[in-house]
Amino acid sequence: MTPRYTDMQLDALRELANIASGTAATSLSQMLGREVDLKVPKAFALPLADAVEAAGDPEEIVSGVALQLEGDLAGIVLLLISASGAATLCSLLGVEVDTEVGESALGEIGNILGASYLAALSSMTGLTMLPSTPMVVSDMLGSIVATVLAETVGHGDTALVLDSQLDITGEPCEISFLLLPNAGGANGLLAPLGLAEAAA
Amino acid sequence: MGELAVSGRAGDEIVAIGLGSCIGLAMIDRDAGVAGLAHVVLPESQGKPGPAGKFADLAIPELVSKMVQAGAVKRRLEAVLIGGARMFSVGASMDIGARNAAAVREALKQAGIRIRTEEVGGNPGRTARIIVGSEISSQLAGGERTSLLTLTATKRVPAPSGR
Repeated sequence: MTPRYTDMQLDALRELANIASGTAATSLSQMLGREVDLKVPKAFALPLADAVEAAGDPEEIVSGVALQLEGDLAGIVLLLISASGAATLCSLLGVEVDTEVGESALGEIGNILGASYLAALSSMTGLTMLPSTPMVVSDMLGSIVATVLAETVGHGDTALVLDSQLDITGEPCEISFLLLPNAGGANGLLAPLGLAEAAA
Repeated sequence: MGELAVSGRAGDEIVAIGLGSCIGLAMIDRDAGVAGLAHVVLPESQGKPGPAGKFADLAIPELVSKMVQAGAVKRRLEAVLIGGARMFSVGASMDIGARNAAAVREALKQAGIRIRTEEVGGNPGRTARIIVGSEISSQLAGGERTSLLTLTATKRVPAPSGR
């Protein structure tokens, strides 16, 4: 069945994402020695096909860094980094983009952003989340997002996505940090906040 | 994801942009000039409802029925598979692509539909494109396009009346 979320539940999820991505932005800023802008996150629950569109232009070539989550909250953390963003990040870290080292640097950024985001989320909800090692791929945004959604949404038909946008001040560098809980996973985030579970 | 579309109008484009682990299942009756595309996301419905093209086990019968409604003849149907990638090569999970491809092949076999060609597996995402009456192609990120099948009629057939 399709879970439905109330506005209050989506607001609460957005606030969780806001605090968690604030922590992640601080870690990124420390790692790169640059100021990081954080936009107000979005939380959306959409049919599968619309969720891909909401994530961006499906034909844009981006770098995707995925961390699979296990523990109290199953799901996937996905970073989508624009091509210019990948080049900027690699240059700030002193490695060449589109090389094995460059790829591993992007994976490391995924690790650090993911770890700090999840630590903040964990301290707010009491949930334990264990991220896998990062998987890095460069391809069409649509292919990356659809593959991740097939995994997290599975037989459900609503995709829940918490989308935080991090930008490096003064650089052409856009990073989307997406948390995609598995079907039913949002209940685990909402329950500790005293909000009723999503209606099945 | 999960959509399904059929057209019998020459020149129409049916496109599934950015297939990762999903399969773009193209079906054609070249003599009737009818083509269809299903965006298959998962191998089995397991009794769950969903959009017409989402699950391989339901998508094939649905696509066949829509093709026949549009004037295709079942015994002339041919299929082309595009997608089914393993985008993330590390990690035990996330190989839905191979399972999708296997499920689509099996469902086609059960329906008695021949697979003409495949562009399936490996790491890259693909865009599946049918130009009705013209060709089926697969496109990689950045635009490199491979023509997989030309869709000219194999023999002359009278045009369907009333269309």
